[in-house]
Amino acid sequence: MKPIEVLDPKVQACIKKRGFSVLSDAQKQAIPLILKGNHVFLIAPTGTGKTESAMFPVFNKLLSMPSGGGIKALYITPLRSLNRDILARMQWWCGELGLSVGVRHGDTPMGERRKQALSPPDLLITTPETFQALFMGKRLRKHLAQVRFVIIDEIHELAGSKRGAQLAVALERLHVYAGEFQRIGLSATVGNPEDIARFLCGARPFSVVSVPVAKQLDITVKFVGDNFQQQTEILSKALKRDGSTLVFVNTRVTAEALGHALYGRGDVEVHHGSLSKEVRIDAEERFKRGEIRTLICTSSMELGIDIGRVDHVIQFGSPREVARLVQRIGRAGHQLNTISRGTILATGFDDLLESLVIAKKAKSNEIEKVVPHRNAADVLANQIAAIAVEYGEIERAKIREILERTAVFTACGILLDDVCRQMEEHRLIRIDGSRIITTARARRYLAGNLSMIHDERKVPIFDMVSRRTVGSLDESFVVGWIHAGVVFITKGQLWRVIEIADGKLTVEPAKKAQGELPSWEGEQIPVPFSVAREAGKMRRTRDISKYTPEPDGIRFAEKFLSEMDKNRSLISTDLLITLENTDDGVVCNVCAGHKVNEALGRVLSILISARYGTTVGLELDAYRMLLRLPSSIRAADVRDLLLSLDPSHMPGILRLALKRTALFKWKLVQIAKKFGAIDPDADYEKISIQRLLEYFDNTVVQTEAYRELLSEYMDIDTAVLLIRKVKQGEISVALGPHSMIGAGGLLSSRDQIPPPTADQAVIATLKRRLDQEDVLLVCMNCRDWKSRTGVTRVPDHPQCPKCGARLIAALKPYEDELYAGIRKSKKTPSERAVEQRLLKNANIVLSSGKKAVIALSARGVGPENASRILATLTDGDAFYREIIKAERNFIQTHRYWS
Amino acid sequence: MNLEFFSNGPALVIEGEERLLVVADTHFGIEADLAAHGLHFRSHSADRLERLLKIIDAADPDMLILLGDIKHSIPSLTRQEYYEMPGILEAIRSRIPLKVFPGNHDIGIERYLLDTELQPRDGVILDGVGYLHGHMYPSPQLAGPLIVIGHHHPLFLLKDEVGCSLQAPAYLRAGLDTKGLGLDMHQNNLSPPRVLFMPAFNEIAGYDILQIINNPFSPFSRFIKKEEAEIILADGTYIGPLSLQQSDETD
Repeated sequence: MKPIEVLDPKVQACIKKRGFSVLSDAQKQAIPLILKGNHVFLIAPTGTGKTESAMFPVFNKLLSMPSGGGIKALYITPLRSLNRDILARMQWWCGELGLSVGVRHGDTPMGERRKQALSPPDLLITTPETFQALFMGKRLRKHLAQVRFVIIDEIHELAGSKRGAQLAVALERLHVYAGEFQRIGLSATVGNPEDIARFLCGARPFSVVSVPVAKQLDITVKFVGDNFQQQTEILSKALKRDGSTLVFVNTRVTAEALGHALYGRGDVEVHHGSLSKEVRIDAEERFKRGEIRTLICTSSMELGIDIGRVDHVIQFGSPREVARLVQRIGRAGHQLNTISRGTILATGFDDLLESLVIAKKAKSNEIEKVVPHRNAADVLANQIAAIAVEYGEIERAKIREILERTAVFTACGILLDDVCRQMEEHRLIRIDGSRIITTARARRYLAGNLSMIHDERKVPIFDMVSRRTVGSLDESFVVGWIHAGVVFITKGQLWRVIEIADGKLTVEPAKKAQGELPSWEGEQIPVPFSVAREAGKMRRTRDISKYTPEPDGIRFAEKFLSEMDKNRSLISTDLLITLENTDDGVVCNVCAGHKVNEALGRVLSILISARYGTTVGLELDAYRMLLRLPSSIRAADVRDLLLSLDPSHMPGILRLALKRTALFKWKLVQIAKKFGAIDPDADYEKISIQRLLEYFDNTVVQTEAYRELLSEYMDIDTAVLLIRKVKQGEISVALGPHSMIGAGGLLSSRDQIPPPTADQAVIATLKRRLDQEDVLLVCMNCRDWKSRTGVTRVPDHPQCPKCGARLIAALKPYEDELYAGIRKSKKTPSERAVEQRLLKNANIVLSSGKKAVIALSARGVGPENASRILATLTDGDAFYREIIKAERNFIQTHRYWS
Repeated sequence: MNLEFFSNGPALVIEGEERLLVVADTHFGIEADLAAHGLHFRSHSADRLERLLKIIDAADPDMLILLGDIKHSIPSLTRQEYYEMPGILEAIRSRIPLKVFPGNHDIGIERYLLDTELQPRDGVILDGVGYLHGHMYPSPQLAGPLIVIGHHHPLFLLKDEVGCSLQAPAYLRAGLDTKGLGLDMHQNNLSPPRVLFMPAFNEIAGYDILQIINNPFSPFSRFIKKEEAEIILADGTYIGPLSLQQSDETD
């Protein structure tokens, strides 16, 4: 029997009518398993008829069911645009087979929704978020009871995110109404298929069908120079060929810049998430019809939206991840059995090596893992609120039952209780013994929080001076970090905040880099550890030609490295960490990828901030970190710290470091929103939100911020392994001059680690103040010399230029008349007392020199206090601490206050 | 006159003939207002009160001076305040006599106070020091060496070479334009009066000192002598003239 013959003759007839002569590998393997009723996880490249693999057997089964009565199959995709695409395809099949199909998502008009509630379609195409909304309506809930099949498309896009964790819970909520239904997951290649299948099915048995992609890839890496003009010229030339091309870029800014440069050709359009739906659909349609031959796009085009024939894919700049490259190149050759052709245009030294490594890994099928979020507390809070609204009131044990059927909350244990307690604090639910009860707020909360995607309000930045809006910042960032007086960077310029009011941030341009602040220009795709390590190895072995036959790239890389040698620069590799002094601080070249550098950079920063009492600014990418430091802390100091680092202490140090960073506060605000503590439209202008965030100390909200940051944003375990290798001498650490590698790179993440106490900042303020004080030096020997000067300019041992004596008293500038008084030959008793004081003063200066002058210029410090301070024989900071103590005492006396 | 600083308040003991503990801007009941602005938190009144009682125990004063904005809601009492205020005031009263200088947020607080506790809004001199909340013009009779006020919630940003290392409640002391404020300086041998701005006791209130100075929003912030203004941290650490901090800001 031919594979196709297992299907219902009606479905077979449709397939023939549609013009499919043979089934693809994916279809051949998946169809029988799905017909058998197995839960199936299907991995296959784009364009191999994945959707049909799932839907042919589902159609088959739908035909044998009575018509009407509820939704029988749910087709869930991560994107609305994908929904539209799938709907267009399904309408034909369903029309032929006499089945009804509908789509429901954020853009669906009210009329259509009402129709669906009254007569539900057999097949409903939706997004995970609208799936959430289906549980809110009584009538729709009833329709859900008929669901027999759930197909999740592009599941790799969801499984690793909180959206995915939320979806996993929703599937089990569906289970309550529908009982067991068949689960089908469709995915691009992932490094860990079993985990994703488990994510889809929980503890149920499943089958995995995997159609390999790697041998169909043809990837070339071309070096195009680091000059944008030149890059666009080469790109433009590459586009001069027959057929259509997708150009993938990593940021919207690059997409716009390239689009602008190539606009004159007339056959190019730009496609990214910031453009309106109409503009995007128009570009897709024109590309499909062949009116334009090139589409410049971001990850918006990665997923399987049908845009017709793509002959070639160009990746502009390193794709950063193997999975992303495979997915993107897979868009080319959209017919069965054709080879996917793709070119990476590498734009610099790091970029070239990274691209070569990723291309090689893609060919040998080394795809990254997708790791689902386990026990994400904010997802839990969101779903508990949803369940409370759904049932009105419900036993906690029942909620636990639902959760523990998923793969992501199997062992949520005490977390469920902690989350409930926290939610009650924010009045999202009420707890009555073992029952969870919904509140008036919960439904409103849910309407604003159907999605786990952080739909950030953008706060406009208004420049007072030019009277115009210069950009915007994420609300969580503003809330967590910005306050009046602070300086931050955006679009490469420094701004000082004047006020936050009426939902906007009023700023003025700032000149000084002091107080420079974190900035995120969108979330960056992190370069994995393994990729950065291998790029580091290439720097060491210099066997570029093993990776590519392209002469331009080889020549550039070799020239770059020999240039480094010529400059006597040290080249950091997988086995060598180099540290370099710069004007801004110290660069640490570590080839370890973003997540490891995020962890290591923060550990180093907190150690420095604790030891030297200074704030440390941190910027980093996959190959280097810039530690912004006071000029007194040099590379050698950082090396000593690095070498003395105890790997086993690193996780604890990192937790400490995190708490006071902008990144942490930013996360905390996002999570607090999901717990209902902060409304989407909260007005936080009147209070200090940063201190409000301290209410989350030692709560489950804080724990979740740690969990997410430590698993998603940084990789401390691997950082520990790296430092172990340093300890064992496998990786060496060396100091070098500032090099081309150290100066390179786009510093994509920025943060600040403040010192544990403000002690050093207080001392620095005191020093600065005393330095700026004036002092009146008077000779107590000849009594005929006085000189007003700055404290900084006082010599170590002041001497009278008239008589040569060193009996010099240091007076406050306003004490001028005291000196006049003691120069009289006939003195009053009080003048005599002053004379004694001045002599005492001069004696202290005689014995302790400038140090005495400094102490005497402090507030309220006279000869008695000064000699007490000097008697402690302290130096440096300890000396200044004594002065602070003396001033603090003075402030408490009536002399200061009256 | 001697002073003692309690940084965990912030609170201040001013000791002359008597030991007076001064606390400003507790804003009990702020949570109801936060909720109206989309921030949903449980009441922290109990924690705030406990902090206050601990300071009372540690300072062992003769009297507590509440320098206004004891409660938060305007123009009327919220349900939260209606339930909480009597208990809070009773807990304090059972330990120590108190005097209350009502602030702009204290509408309706009279009903919870004894006649002896309620002080005039435009201030009064106690033990040689003038006290008032500070949202309105002071009584002309308040001219004296020192006037202590609340209302402004001063917060100080301490910076180091790389960034901002501390954002903390702080005191601001400055000279006053007595004419502008309408203080009667014709009384006998008066030294020029100084004002002391108290930081807020409420843990989430705070306003940058430079903002207070540069965008004045009260008679006192309008009529202080900026060039004489000095900053003291909540623990009594002397930071020094504001002018030093400011010149640093603007270059």
